[in-house]
Amino acid sequence: MGIGPGMEEAPGLERVHAEGASRSAKLCPRGKAHFREDAVFKGLSIGGSLLMPLLVAAILVELVWYSWPALKHFGVGFLVSQEWNPVTQEFGAASSIFGTLVSTLIALLLAVPLSLAVALFLVELAPPPVSRVVGTLIELLAAIPSIIYGMWGLFVFAPFMADYVQPALGKTLGFLPLFQGPPLGIGMLTAGIILAFMILPFICAITRDVYLLVPRTVRESAFGMGATTWEVTYQVIIPYGLVGIIGAVFLGLGRALGETMAVTFVIGNAHRVSASLFAPGNSIASTLANEFAEATGTLYVSSLIELGLVLFLITYLVQMTAQFLVRRFYRAWSAGL
Amino acid sequence: MKLRPPTGRLLVNRLVSLLSAGAALLGLAVLAWILAGVVARGLGALTPALFIHLPAPPGVPGGGLANAIVGTLVMTLAATALAVPLGLLAGVYLSEFGQDSRLADQSRFSANVLMGMPSIIIGVFVYALVVIPMGKFSGWAGIAALAIIMFPIVARTAEDMIRLVPNTLREAGLALGAPRWQVTLAIIFRAARAGLVTGVLLAIARVSGETAPLLFTALNSPYWVSSLSEPTPNLTVTIFNYAMSPYPDWQQLAWGGSLLITLGVLALTLLTRFSLRDKPR
Amino acid sequence: MKALTLPAPRYLTADEAAGEATSDLALTVAPEGPKIITRQLDFFYGEHQALFGNNLEVARNQVTAIIGPSGCGKSTHIRAYNRIYELYGEQRATGEVLLDGVNVLDPAQDLMELRRRVGMIFQKPTPFPMSIFDNVAFGLKLHYRLNRGELADRVEEALVRAALWDEIKDQLRHSGTALSGGQQQRLCIARAIAVEPEVLLMDEPTSAIDPIATAKIEDLVNTLKSRYTIVIVTHNLQQAGRVSDFTAFFYQGRIVEFGPTTQIFTNPTQKQTEQYITGRFG
Repeated sequence: MGIGPGMEEAPGLERVHAEGASRSAKLCPRGKAHFREDAVFKGLSIGGSLLMPLLVAAILVELVWYSWPALKHFGVGFLVSQEWNPVTQEFGAASSIFGTLVSTLIALLLAVPLSLAVALFLVELAPPPVSRVVGTLIELLAAIPSIIYGMWGLFVFAPFMADYVQPALGKTLGFLPLFQGPPLGIGMLTAGIILAFMILPFICAITRDVYLLVPRTVRESAFGMGATTWEVTYQVIIPYGLVGIIGAVFLGLGRALGETMAVTFVIGNAHRVSASLFAPGNSIASTLANEFAEATGTLYVSSLIELGLVLFLITYLVQMTAQFLVRRFYRAWSAGL
Repeated sequence: MKLRPPTGRLLVNRLVSLLSAGAALLGLAVLAWILAGVVARGLGALTPALFIHLPAPPGVPGGGLANAIVGTLVMTLAATALAVPLGLLAGVYLSEFGQDSRLADQSRFSANVLMGMPSIIIGVFVYALVVIPMGKFSGWAGIAALAIIMFPIVARTAEDMIRLVPNTLREAGLALGAPRWQVTLAIIFRAARAGLVTGVLLAIARVSGETAPLLFTALNSPYWVSSLSEPTPNLTVTIFNYAMSPYPDWQQLAWGGSLLITLGVLALTLLTRFSLRDKPR
Repeated sequence: MKALTLPAPRYLTADEAAGEATSDLALTVAPEGPKIITRQLDFFYGEHQALFGNNLEVARNQVTAIIGPSGCGKSTHIRAYNRIYELYGEQRATGEVLLDGVNVLDPAQDLMELRRRVGMIFQKPTPFPMSIFDNVAFGLKLHYRLNRGELADRVEEALVRAALWDEIKDQLRHSGTALSGGQQQRLCIARAIAVEPEVLLMDEPTSAIDPIATAKIEDLVNTLKSRYTIVIVTHNLQQAGRVSDFTAFFYQGRIVEFGPTTQIFTNPTQKQTEQYITGRFG
């Protein structure tokens, strides 16, 4: 086989051709070696992926294992007992669970409407450059570490609550047991408010995505009928995106349940269930943070770990629900895009 | 038919718009309040002494957070070195090999569960896994806890970024006779490089501010980092301890540390925002 | 100086490569007959069958065009030649594809070597995210043991043959993705021919490129065919007429007609072929 007629050989190729004969001999045939390399690579990647469900399972198993002494000793009563006495070795999760739930509830009551409003602002009302900047800034709220919220909460926000907000609430709504008691600054209400701002960016981000996923034609039809922005949002977009928005709320819920440092700083760390939001309390996470490192005695440590198990299970259930809802929403509505 | 007067509807719309803008403003105000508070109280502690000196007993002037800063850097870097290769491998499986397989679905779900898990639970997990067998708190335990937090973040981000690489690039590499692993490492990773780096930076930002997972793994120490098999000093637990103490000079140091962490985390976060913005979606 | 003839590259056995070959003549094996013989090729996307018992002979050192309306199986057919479809689990092929008499669909076939011998150019240019030099060197480093000087020579030679060298010889370290569409496609061609393939599969190589660059690539195909066997899938009938020696007309997964291009275009035997050529359907 030679070089056919009409083919222009570019100058300078003679030199390269001179080595032509020996060229093919430099082939390095790989044989079946590459199949082994590929198999190893694939195996490693499977291992990496497997690590994640393994970790979740391991955490569950380990928590159950180490809380076994407390589980056996206290039984179900652990969950409703308000006792917490390292001296007499009587432990109960009631105050911690109560505090976790109440602070989270306050956070949600504040954060959900705020998030929906901010998302509405970012998507519909703000001009694009403003929306971008404000959106980025709101997301910075999520980037601030929990301990910074704690520091700020304890040294700046709690005094503010004690000096202005709580007295005002006490004067106006003091007939409710919720707002009775001395304005200490730290306590359930303060913790709840700080949590609200910590979870705001998460709920807001997903709500934004939900707003944007509603098909453009649907929004345009609604606007085209003369509806105002609010009416379109309230009557069209939110119903369309309800599943996704609820999923976002669950996600925020999950985060609030597990927040540790911010809550530890401002919740007051008292093992008691109180009707007043001004009173100090604790959450599961704050109890662990405060007491775990110094806990001695099997039952004490085991009770703490059982608290951790409770938190794990609640968080897991909430996560599962959140993912289910968000995934269902995306699947339903991205198909329509 | 009688028409509804539009004024009521417009008023409601106007009101809602104001409330929405107000909500956004509130969020920004809180952000500003926090940042201002941290800067105002922490700036005074930003002396050279902070970066050079070991902590001093309360009441003794001239203490610093040098060992804590080093400790945090060391543990964060070590955790990154552990979490990134594993996360990349998992991400490769999820995007290249597994895709819709059951293992992939389970792994994605588990990744989300891990990412939503309170970091203090991870701390408890590592306590039982590492601290109890070792018999003492250690830097290794802290690194393990941080790595477990980072790992699913890197894995999910890697999966998303690798998926963005068009299939024709994969096919072009294979069509030349390259083995699969080489196509992934030499071509796909290169094409997704910016996104992968962003994912790692985000994970680092998230983890460098964490306190709870270190509380009973690495604990804390007033000395230099001597061995990772001992309690290791770190910035976040130091801040916690100092803030809870009744000593003003320690509290001042806590603010200094807070300022450092805030600046670091915000800088990293903003960096990733801007680098992601330039990438075509 | 040696004569300007290259021995036809051929598949060396592991033994031959381990010991150096002693003479050019030992390497020169020039089998006669078609380069690729396809027999009863069926192709499945999951449950859906896309090719139905295709038989085709691709002539050695000629350009064979594959034409037909969208979705008729043109790309699917040539993707069986380098088994690139195996990237996707649900796709499979049955039948025989004989490259110089050896069935490449046989699982025992060395896939890496097959893909070195059968190169592929895609519709959308696919430069790797690396420098121009590294793009061309990628395949070379895979299959050959070369020192730096040899590598540089081979890269230059490939770029010369792909008619790209003059335009970018000062920019070898620049990113391959920074080139124009037509240049990127020629880069992909350079990359493919650097590893001394015997066959070049081109899947609509100019449909994403402007007309002037298209003309350059068509000229290139003309010069390349003396060295390689070329199969080009195209939906552009004029291109098929300009560039190819043989043409196969596909319709709904079957080869309706095959023959010399001049015959297909001026005197087709099948009615469907005539209707397609004259634009009755597309």
